[in-house]
Amino acid sequence: MVMTLKNLNLIRNGKRVLHNISGELEGGKIIALLGPNGAGKSTLIKSLARLLECEGDIQLHGKVLADFNAEELAQNLAYLPQQSQLEFPLEVDEVLSLATLPFSLTRLQQRQQVKRVISDWNIGSLAQKDFRQLSGGEQQRCQIARTYLQLSNMTLEGQGRGIWLLDEPASSLDLEHQQQLQRICRKAANEGHCVVIVLHDLNQAFSLADDIWLLENGRLKAQGPAQEVMTESLISQIFKVSARRVEDSGRSIFLFS
Amino acid sequence: MIKKLLISPLGWLLCILLSLGICLSALLLGSIDFQSLIHSDIGHNILWNIRLPRVMLAFVVGASLALAGVLIQSNVRNPLADPSLIGVSAGAALGAALMIVAAEFIDIQAQYYIPLAAFIGGILSTLAVLKLGRNDMPGGMALLILAGIAINVIAASLIGLLTYLATDSALRHITFWSLGSLAGANYFWLILCTTALLIVCLWLPKQQRKLDAILLGQAEANTMGVDVKRLQMQSIVLVALLAALSVSACGIIGFIGLVTPHIGRMLVGASHRYLLPLCFFLGGSLLVIADGLARTIIAPAELPIGIVTALLGAPVFIWLLVREGRRLQW
Repeated sequence: MVMTLKNLNLIRNGKRVLHNISGELEGGKIIALLGPNGAGKSTLIKSLARLLECEGDIQLHGKVLADFNAEELAQNLAYLPQQSQLEFPLEVDEVLSLATLPFSLTRLQQRQQVKRVISDWNIGSLAQKDFRQLSGGEQQRCQIARTYLQLSNMTLEGQGRGIWLLDEPASSLDLEHQQQLQRICRKAANEGHCVVIVLHDLNQAFSLADDIWLLENGRLKAQGPAQEVMTESLISQIFKVSARRVEDSGRSIFLFS
Repeated sequence: MIKKLLISPLGWLLCILLSLGICLSALLLGSIDFQSLIHSDIGHNILWNIRLPRVMLAFVVGASLALAGVLIQSNVRNPLADPSLIGVSAGAALGAALMIVAAEFIDIQAQYYIPLAAFIGGILSTLAVLKLGRNDMPGGMALLILAGIAINVIAASLIGLLTYLATDSALRHITFWSLGSLAGANYFWLILCTTALLIVCLWLPKQQRKLDAILLGQAEANTMGVDVKRLQMQSIVLVALLAALSVSACGIIGFIGLVTPHIGRMLVGASHRYLLPLCFFLGGSLLVIADGLARTIIAPAELPIGIVTALLGAPVFIWLLVREGRRLQW
């Protein structure tokens, strides 16, 4: 088990934004957090990254999350926020190389890792560019690549043991790169890491995730394997649309009206 | 191209040689020629006790202000920030003004006590800003800046009140001091300022990549293993130390802390590994040049150096803004 949560509660500005959330995050799995706007998906993922303090118990590899120092935490957990804004002229490869910060690597190793991730992600043409001049989608790809590079350093005896928290990584990606993201998430899970991803596209979640956590008003409405959780009635009720689940050549997709 | 050259060993050698050259020229700049500087007793005295500490202090203060500028801009992630934002300069100015006015009424050697009062004022106002703007919550840095602005306003209005109460000569003194001058340079201040600068230079190498991470954002830096709150507190304390000592030694010198980091970023980008050493040389050299101009343009009289840095710095800054705006299409 990579992470366990017990009775997470969070009150912000007098409003309870997380209600008694409990669950387990296993290595080798992709867990999608779904829910309408304001359901608490980002709040939950930020709490897991220890960016928000909440009541309750979060353990990472059996140790209380609060007991990790900043560096140890970064050696076990990578987090991609919804949006990053850079005001200063950092080049893409400089941004990427920051992913190696928590690990004691030589400068040569750092450079090799950055080179590898640049070729893996096919962003060679962007490497020397000012990060601020990239399009929204290109920035997003670089940030995903950066956090993946951080994650890929979290292995013990060849077995991945990191947790990758992605807050709406697909929001500004085109179709080709959404599929690339899916492939990379699956690769990370196959290596043994745990991937937690906030998505808005239910069909994408359906095809990608092993487990689904459905949130509404800060409460966990359902959690479990995608096929079981994503029922027509539950989706219709939570998202306030009329949803129809269709089976097509072995795959399930949702149609909305 | 420029970046490639500057971050190579050759580039660093050039930086060092250029800075040395500028300092040497400044040493020889003035109404007394080289021969008499070397051979006569008076010349000797001028060279070793007036010009040398002055040029070296100019370099050290320039480098301190530039590094303080980089640190504060990176920590608040705002390219328009400068060291005075955390209230340190205003507090120091208030301390100095208080002492200047007080010296009119009580019989003390004001020239020795003014820098001390400035230093105490600078440190006290920074502590007040830190106390008001708590940094241990989300958005805490914004609160800190607002607290800094508030302290700046309070200090400015108190200085205004003091100038109203001051005699003519005290008023002139306050005005001159608030525009900065290196005329009072001596080895005492040189040693103090150099020590502070050395402390910061020893601290910086381990923080360079952490500062890069902060540029991406607090959440990003936190999840990349940087203890952001701690780094920010350490940075602010060191910025306050650098700025308070600089202001105490030579009054308020504007624009070096704001403009130098921008020029540095244009040349080598925002990565602190290159930016910090470059700003060290750039800030130092710029202030040596500005001081050279300040003491020769209307010789034998002197211009306050703050006027020179502002007159040179402000147009450069406007040009930078327009250029940045065009490039990023604001």
